[in-house]
Amino acid sequence: MQPFQHQAATSVADTIAILSTHKGRAKLMAGGTDLLGILKTRATVAYPKVVVNIKSIAGLDKIQSDGQGLSLGALTRLADIVDSEVIRDAYPILAEAAASVAMPQIRNVGTIGGNLAQETRCWYFRYPHSIGGRIMCKRKGEAACLAVKGDNRYHAIFGGKKCFAVCPSDMAVALAALDAEIQISGAKGQRSVAVTGFYHPLGNVLETDEMITGIKVPRPAPNNRQVFIKHRVRDAIDFATVSVGLVVSMDAKTVADVRVVLGAVASGPYRATDAEAALVGRKLDPAVIEKAAEASVAGAVPLSGNAYKVDITKTLVRQALQI
Amino acid sequence: MNTRQNDPEQERRTIHLKVNDKDYALAIGDTVGAVAPSDTLAHTLRETLGLTGTKISCDQGSCGACTVIMNGKSILSCMTLTIECDGARIITIEGLADPATGQLHPLQQAFVDNSAFQCGFCTPGILMSTKALVDQNPHPTRDAIQHALSGHFCRCISHYEVVDAVCQATTTEGDHD
Amino acid sequence: MTNGYRYIGKDTARKDARDIVTGKARFFDDIKIPGMLYGKVKRSPHAHANITRIDTDRARCMPGVRAVLTHTDIPRWEWGMPKHIPILDSKVRFVGDAVALVAADTPDIAEAALDLINVEYEPLPAVYDVEAAMQIDTSPIYAQFAHNTYPDEPPSFEPEMLGHIRIGDVQKGFDEADFTIEDTCGYEIFPNPLPPEPPGFIATWETPDCLTVYTPSQSIAQVRLIGIPFIGMADIRAISTQCGGSYGTKNANLTPMGYAAVLAKATGKPVKVYFTKEEHFHSYSLRLGSRVRARVGIKKDGTLSAISGVWMVNTGSGSESGPLQIAVGLGEVQLVLRCANWDLKGKLVCTNRSPSGIVRGYGGQELESSILPIIGRAMEKAGINPVDFFKKNSVKPGNGYFWREGKWWTYRGIDFNTAIDKGAATFGWKEKWKGWGKPTAIHGNKRIGVGVGVHSNADVGEDSSEATVKLTADGRAVVYCCVSEAGLGQRSSLCKMAAEVLDLPLERVTLSPPDTQLNPFELGLVGSRGTYAVGSAVIAAAEDARKKLLEIAAHRFKSTADQLETENGKIYMVGRPDKKLAWHRIMGVYHSVTGEGRFEPDYSLCNFLMTFVEVEVDTETGQVVLTRMVNATDAGQVIAPKVLEGQLHGAFGSAGLDTALFEETVLDETSGRMLNGNMVDYKWRTFADLPDVKNVILETPMPSHRFKAVGVGEIATSPGPSAVLMAVYNAIGTRIASYPVTATKILNALGKR
Repeated sequence: MQPFQHQAATSVADTIAILSTHKGRAKLMAGGTDLLGILKTRATVAYPKVVVNIKSIAGLDKIQSDGQGLSLGALTRLADIVDSEVIRDAYPILAEAAASVAMPQIRNVGTIGGNLAQETRCWYFRYPHSIGGRIMCKRKGEAACLAVKGDNRYHAIFGGKKCFAVCPSDMAVALAALDAEIQISGAKGQRSVAVTGFYHPLGNVLETDEMITGIKVPRPAPNNRQVFIKHRVRDAIDFATVSVGLVVSMDAKTVADVRVVLGAVASGPYRATDAEAALVGRKLDPAVIEKAAEASVAGAVPLSGNAYKVDITKTLVRQALQI
Repeated sequence: MNTRQNDPEQERRTIHLKVNDKDYALAIGDTVGAVAPSDTLAHTLRETLGLTGTKISCDQGSCGACTVIMNGKSILSCMTLTIECDGARIITIEGLADPATGQLHPLQQAFVDNSAFQCGFCTPGILMSTKALVDQNPHPTRDAIQHALSGHFCRCISHYEVVDAVCQATTTEGDHD
Repeated sequence: MTNGYRYIGKDTARKDARDIVTGKARFFDDIKIPGMLYGKVKRSPHAHANITRIDTDRARCMPGVRAVLTHTDIPRWEWGMPKHIPILDSKVRFVGDAVALVAADTPDIAEAALDLINVEYEPLPAVYDVEAAMQIDTSPIYAQFAHNTYPDEPPSFEPEMLGHIRIGDVQKGFDEADFTIEDTCGYEIFPNPLPPEPPGFIATWETPDCLTVYTPSQSIAQVRLIGIPFIGMADIRAISTQCGGSYGTKNANLTPMGYAAVLAKATGKPVKVYFTKEEHFHSYSLRLGSRVRARVGIKKDGTLSAISGVWMVNTGSGSESGPLQIAVGLGEVQLVLRCANWDLKGKLVCTNRSPSGIVRGYGGQELESSILPIIGRAMEKAGINPVDFFKKNSVKPGNGYFWREGKWWTYRGIDFNTAIDKGAATFGWKEKWKGWGKPTAIHGNKRIGVGVGVHSNADVGEDSSEATVKLTADGRAVVYCCVSEAGLGQRSSLCKMAAEVLDLPLERVTLSPPDTQLNPFELGLVGSRGTYAVGSAVIAAAEDARKKLLEIAAHRFKSTADQLETENGKIYMVGRPDKKLAWHRIMGVYHSVTGEGRFEPDYSLCNFLMTFVEVEVDTETGQVVLTRMVNATDAGQVIAPKVLEGQLHGAFGSAGLDTALFEETVLDETSGRMLNGNMVDYKWRTFADLPDVKNVILETPMPSHRFKAVGVGEIATSPGPSAVLMAVYNAIGTRIASYPVTATKILNALGKR
């Protein structure tokens, strides 16, 4: 790896001070499993001057729950989410999504903050610099997206325009289905952003002097049902081809409230509002489910090589509703 | 190296690792033998401490070859910065057999008995994940073994023999420590 | 099973087992030579371009940099078959091709120096498709290969190399056919066998005329054999470290050796070049691309009456051993498709893809994976069950075939139909086979299909081997034979053979280090030759040593040698086991006794493997999952049971069966760049995805050597790919004629898109 300086942050305020000093040339390191990969391949032009260890911040890895909901520190490890009884009991979708990430060794160090803020897996974006130089693209600030005319089997079927890379985060899908908010601290103070609003086509909303400090998850309605399904080629390591997060609560026999969130189909977790509309107030009978599955892909504009994602999306939505 | 930006604060720092029950004090800096901030734990174990049993294959956190146990958990040493390991307890493949007698750990013996390797390059990493598993769960099911090892690349396909070996080591009597 | 042997056929711990499980085994990156420098390679961004200018001044001035080399600084040494791959050139031929080399005190400095080298290029049109490449008549990739086609000239060591099967009269054969099929099928996904340990070389010039190299090798002696002509006929001493996987790729790929050798020459120091995983993906050995356009005539009873066509082989930017892979592939295809009339020609073509090389399956897997789907269509026309077809058309004792050196051989081994029957019964083929294009079962959106593939190889007795066995007075034996350990367990198996002959405890038999300086001639563990070819040399050497020892002992016992036995390092007269004399009493403590053995090529024996597969196709997601696999073979005599089981399990990995399911190298044709050159996007089978697997291994004594065995491990990868295509067709009723069977292809085939 090319050299960098290293600092261990002692608090959130300390982290923000370091970030402010280095103006975009400092990178935060929690689990490090995403950051170090990019630093090693030098896929991006910018190489940090300073890597800031934030694992040294005390108290940012807590899982707390009360009547209002769940609060997760940004440094909460994925393995701890998988093992948490509180989460398994009331927020099982989070445990399932966390359990589906990568492999045990990565879940042992990977944090929820890092999972949310990880860079895209677009294979043009990640192309290693050592083999003839990195591939430049919209996301890196120059040149056109090669995926549009290239091999886009893993790219977005919704939106894009400038960049068709998808958000690889499984946690984002599950959290969006729970209507969670991401808590951010920065030089200008604190703010909260809905998980669905955290991402934009070229990345996320974090300013260079900001960091994720935690996640707030509202307690879902009683008797809700939570489903996370991740489709991938292999049962480990792979990022989602398509995933779906579903949180549904019933009012007697009809759907009172529902959130259907799709993963790996857009630049962020994609809320299939048409599908939700097709479900609210209705019984979950086969015809309604079928209609919702169809509606989940309304507005999808697949690229040359990823129309199969449309079929998989519909299938996953149907399966999630049938469970 | 010469392009490194020196930070006098860092130069004076020392970190402490306990590797296979042995204490090491490592200077941080860019002098020869010191740990650079960008050094990974895999690099430090192999190049600084001479513990070459830990293997580096993809160096991208995707193959499991560099797995070691840190503070009781399996981790990828190629995706860990040594500078962040101050105070850590680390077990590598060299720490698995009995240091006094050289007697193999029951898992190692089971791997030998089952020919649970072909080229053997991925074996140290697999054994460390297996050890971390059985420390938590002394009698894992085949399914639990497979999922515990799901991050390990074995291109020869010794998967079946490995799962057999772990089953054998964990169903017979014996101490798994 | 009691076979009367002490070690043969019994599980014994591999000699290196303890070193492997304790981390003590010394792989390539565990070796350090004092004063060693580190070499790195500046790589091309273009798939095809002339280099118009290289500025290395800034890199040369960087502290810690000891040498920067471009094509103008080094001799034009070439390797490959035919010789054509230079170390560096004035042009680049694929994205990732070498442009310049740096040696420095540390890998980090060398890597940083690469960024200081400025290169200007004049891009040239790039071509990736085998047929498009043949159309190009200006600016070929290599000036000497018009139309990007390698010449038909055979290499010096194989003057009559098989490049074209011509048997009988194909016109007559087609006239006699009840059905004729014409089709094209490709196996052109350039999968990477991807051993976990990347390739590397340490090179150090002992004298201006002698290079010592350390490398993790499958066949270390080949490095010397083909390396000497590469580096201007200087001598080479080649030493293998423990090898972290090869699957063919670490036999003869001299690309990193060339870099290390010229950097070592320029600096006067040992230089280590160890590829990163990224370089391993982009700039090392991929499996050959293969496309077959064939016409097949078949009779109603399943007799093949004619096969004609062309086999187009895409080497990417360089051919490590392409002509020989064509020769072996054409030999092998005759072993599984008996046919009276053949006209099948191989064509070897270069393109601007990453270079290809030797991979497990060596030509045969590539050819079978392309031609068997076409043959499958013929079988369907004839209405014949594929298992019956292969029972009828696989090689039988007395059948003849042309082998790679162009000569006609007659098979003198055993009939493999018993193995096929046993495999079919174990798999439940009879119950599962419902006919062509018919699923075994349908469960909701899951459709089950079965398929079968075959491979047979007459390279079990390929090329030559030599061995010596030294008996020492203390009752031990050392086998000298230039064999390295890449995971095949062969170093241990050869010790077992010698221990068996000498009736010595296995722990008292060791094998010499894999070092060309210490050992007699050896070709190496290529193809399936370890058990029969190398084993024969070792057995002969052990027998020779035993005979010499007993002849010396005969004087002492006042008997003849054939009245004597040796056991555990002691000699006694038959019938008088109570009166034993230790070897040192016979030979004296200042002596050793050495026997010699040699094996000459013999292409009259084959191995064979049939792979049965069951797949489950999800018609909603297009996902194909392998649920069951049965491998059926007859090895004559198993030497090391668990080792063989392991190698057969290897069917999935190393660019094998999984190339039909999810393995492929993805190329962006606009930029010429490989997109999935990393271990997340390049798919490989994980521990979480293990199908039910059974190996059916028969032991019908084979007329090979003393232990009646032939090697079979290598070919495990080969039958799988075409078997999977067949199974998918049967599951969904629509043929997919390309690899792998992605969700997109399945959904398209099902008419969903």
